Amino acid sequence: MDSISEKHIENSKFQIILILLLVSLTFLLAIFAMGSGSSSNLDMLTTLKIILGLENSNDLQSAIIWELRFPRILMAIVGGAALATAGALMQGCLGNPLVSPLTLGVASGAALGAAFAIVLGFSIVSNSEIAIVANAFLFSLIVVGIIIQLGNMRSISAESYILVGIAITFIAGAIVSTMQYFATDAQLSQLAHWSFGSLSRPTLIQTLWISVALIGLMPSAMKWSWDLNALSLGGDDFAISTGVDPSTTRKRILILSAFLTSVVIAFTGLIGFVGLAAPHMSRLIVGNDYRKLIPCSAVFGSLLTLFADTLGRTLFAPIIIPVGIMLSIIGGPFFMYLLLKNRGVNS
Amino acid sequence: MSKILEIKDLNFSWGNNHVLRDINVNISPNELVAVLGVNGAGKSTLLKCINRILKSDSGSINLLEEDVNGLSLIDLSKKVSYVPQSVRTSFSMDVFDVVLLGRRPHISWRISEEDRDKVSSTLRSLGLEDFSFRKFDQLSGGERQRVIIAKAIAQDSSLLLMDEPTSDLDLKNQLEIMKSLRKIISNKDAEKSALIAIHDINIAARFADRILLLHNGKIFASGTPREVLTKDNIAEVFSVDAEIIDNAVFWPGGSDSLRVIVKDEITSK
Repeated sequence: MDSISEKHIENSKFQIILILLLVSLTFLLAIFAMGSGSSSNLDMLTTLKIILGLENSNDLQSAIIWELRFPRILMAIVGGAALATAGALMQGCLGNPLVSPLTLGVASGAALGAAFAIVLGFSIVSNSEIAIVANAFLFSLIVVGIIIQLGNMRSISAESYILVGIAITFIAGAIVSTMQYFATDAQLSQLAHWSFGSLSRPTLIQTLWISVALIGLMPSAMKWSWDLNALSLGGDDFAISTGVDPSTTRKRILILSAFLTSVVIAFTGLIGFVGLAAPHMSRLIVGNDYRKLIPCSAVFGSLLTLFADTLGRTLFAPIIIPVGIMLSIIGGPFFMYLLLKNRGVNS
Repeated sequence: MSKILEIKDLNFSWGNNHVLRDINVNISPNELVAVLGVNGAGKSTLLKCINRILKSDSGSINLLEEDVNGLSLIDLSKKVSYVPQSVRTSFSMDVFDVVLLGRRPHISWRISEEDRDKVSSTLRSLGLEDFSFRKFDQLSGGERQRVIIAKAIAQDSSLLLMDEPTSDLDLKNQLEIMKSLRKIISNKDAEKSALIAIHDINIAARFADRILLLHNGKIFASGTPREVLTKDNIAEVFSVDAEIIDNAVFWPGGSDSLRVIVKDEITSK
C-alpha cells in the first residue's frame, strides 16, 4: 500500500481510538454519577456494590438508584447524544457553524406547546401528567411539518431554512410572551422551570422508549455522512459534482435532526447549548469528516450533558441546578477557550 | 467509442436573459476542448448544464450515448467530474479527504484500498503529496485549485468539466496542470475527454485540440486553434486588436504552435 494511504489509515485509527477513549470516559462518569447524590444512606461504594449485585438494597436505595438516578443518567447520555448529533447534522447540511438544534424553531414550537398546556390548560391528551410533554412534542412536530413543506420547494436554499427557523422562533416567542403576560405567578413559575431544561422529568419507561427511538435513528445519520462531507466542504455545486442531490439530502437530514431534537426537548425542556458546542468540540478532535464526526459528537454530547448534570445535582446538594443552566455555565467558557486556543471552529 | 459528449440545440435562460442559444457540441474520446468567450458569454452556464447543476430549457445532452437527465446523480458523477471556479468551504478537511470525495460516487460507505491508492497516486501526479494532510482552508488559492482538480481526476470519469482551472495558478503551475491534463486526455487506453472554460487564449491555443468561441450565447466559431483564433474572430468577440503569430518556435513540443499577442482594445469599429 502507498505510504500516503498508510498515513491516512493511521490517522483514522488514531481518531477512532480518541472516540473510544471518550466512550470510556463517559462510562466512568456514568458510574460516578450513579454513586453521587445527596442521599445520606447511599454512598459511592454502596451504590457500586448494589449495581454489581454484591450487596442487597432496601426499597429506598433501590428506588433512588433505579427510578431516580438511572433514568436521569440514561437521559443525559441519550439526550446529549441526540442533540449533539442533530447539531452536527444541521451545521453540515446548512453549511453554517452557527446553527444549533434550536435554530429551526423546533424548540420554540415545543415551548409554545408547553405554554398552551401550562397557561391555557389546553392539551391534546386528557392525562394531566403528560399534558405538557404531549403538547410540546405535537407543537415541535408541527414545526417539523413546516420544514418538510419547505423541503418540498425545490428552490429552497440553506439560508432560507435558517431564516424561516428564526421567523418561527420569533412568532412562537411572541405568542409565549403574550401568554406569560396574562399568566398567574404559579403558571409563570412552571413555565420558567420547563424552559430551564431538566433530565429528571422523563420516567424510566419514557427514557427507555426515547433511547430506543434515538438509537434507531442513528444509523440513518451515519448513512448520510459522505453526503454531508460533500455538502459541508464545498456547497451545492460541489456536492452535485460528487453525485449528491443537495435539496433532497438537506431535507432528509433536517427532518431527522428536527425529529431527534423534538423527541428530547419535549421531555426535558430547553437544553440547547450542547447541540452547538459538542459538534465544534468534536471537530477539534476528529476534524470535519462526518463518518467520524457524527459518533464523536454523539459521545461528546453525552459526556458534556452528563458532566453538567452531575455537577448541577452535586455542587450545591440538595439543591439541584437544572442541566440547561449548568451546560451553558460550564460549557460556554470551555467552548470559548477551545475555539480561541485553536483560532476558529474550522481548524 | 464514438462520442463522449453530444449536445443538440441546447438553450438556457435566466428569465428573459437568453444565456445559451442553440448550442451544438460533439466531443470525441481523447479530445481536449477549450471554451473561450468574454465574461457572461455562457461558458460556466454551459458546463453547469452538462453537469445538471442547471437545468436547460430545451435541447438534449447525451453523455456516452445516454441522456444526462435520465441518469441518477451518482451515475452521472461516475461519467463526468466538475471543477468549479472556486470552492467556498464552510468546514475544512484534510487535502486527502477532499480528494477522496472524488471517489464518493464509487464508494458505498467503506473506503477500499484501491480508492485510497487512487487518491494517493493522483496527489503524487499533481505534486500535492506534501499537502496530503494539511487543511484545505489553510492552502493558497492556487493550491486549493490544484486540490479540486485532483479530486476531479480521482473521480475517474470519462469527461472532465473545468471552469477556469488555471485562474488562480502561477505561470509554472498553469503549465504543470495543463501538461498533466493533456497527458491524461491523450492516453489512448483511458478514452477520457475534457471541456475547459478558460480565459487565457494562449493556454487554449497550446493545449486544446479544438476551441469553441462563445459570443452572445451562441457558438461564434468552432474548430482547431488555428481555425478559430483569427484576428477577425478575436476582434469581434473580445473587442481587442490582436496579432496572431503562427510559429512553432514559441511552443516547442506543443500540440499547436499559435500565439496570440493582444495589442490594444478596440474602442470603435
